[in-house]
Amino acid sequence: METEKNVEVEIDIFEFAGRGEEVPHATTYRVRIDGETVKVDTPHPTGELLLSKVGKRPCAFELIEEFVHHDNDVVEPNEEVNLRKHGLKGFITAHKEIVTIFINGDPYSIERGKRTVAQILSKVNQTPEGYILMEEKGGPPLPLPPDVPVEICGCEIFHSQAQSGGSS
Amino acid sequence: MAYPPEQIEELKGYCTKLSALPEGGVTFLYMEGLRLPAGCNPSACDALLCPVAKDGYPSRLYLSVQVASRYPRNWNGSTRIGERNWFAFSWMVNLSEPTLTQLLIAHLNGFAKEK
Repeated sequence: METEKNVEVEIDIFEFAGRGEEVPHATTYRVRIDGETVKVDTPHPTGELLLSKVGKRPCAFELIEEFVHHDNDVVEPNEEVNLRKHGLKGFITAHKEIVTIFINGDPYSIERGKRTVAQILSKVNQTPEGYILMEEKGGPPLPLPPDVPVEICGCEIFHSQAQSGGSS
Repeated sequence: MAYPPEQIEELKGYCTKLSALPEGGVTFLYMEGLRLPAGCNPSACDALLCPVAKDGYPSRLYLSVQVASRYPRNWNGSTRIGERNWFAFSWMVNLSEPTLTQLLIAHLNGFAKEK
């Protein structure tokens, strides 16, 4: 039985996985994600928390567990990972093909890549003829030209507003 | 004329400084460093938002420079307000009781829309 006395302060799960040893309890776990070592204060972080450690979000990336025996498992954003799982050596991330964007505050799935304004507005049953599409990109939402494709990488934030102006 | 404080707050996100400029019976909203849509040159400039009818338009957006954008605009609103020259292009916005931000967006859309 483990007591507070024999709880390791900080352990590297990669090293334990490599040696084939059980990962002991610890206050901090060193975890490799895409080769970068990050520190996690719980043995059961969510996929979203682990992604955030390398500056990524589930709206654009997925997290994949890597085991010493070469098995890989996708971790859902809300899924809790057991960092003490035998053979778990770390994680990699992958850009999703179907990403999540946000329109007027709600999430929508869309294929990554260049998408037309019409394709984006169609998610909220709107058209460029009737609505202005605005993107919030490092600042306040600004109108997008309806005839220029929008590069979708995931996590983009859009707003729409009824068309109302015209040259007079 | 006083504008709703929450609308003023929202508008502040579009510029570096926002203040009221009363002149000729109109309270213009003086927006320093207004961010402009992608494809505009410059990408930001000072602006005056006039939320009430002026010069035959229900509302107007005056800019400190004639902004170059994807579509040529009919710059027909050269005027002097607050001891400074301003420019506006022919753009009619008809919105029923818009917020200040909705009004600003409708005017900025003139740089992103052909007609």
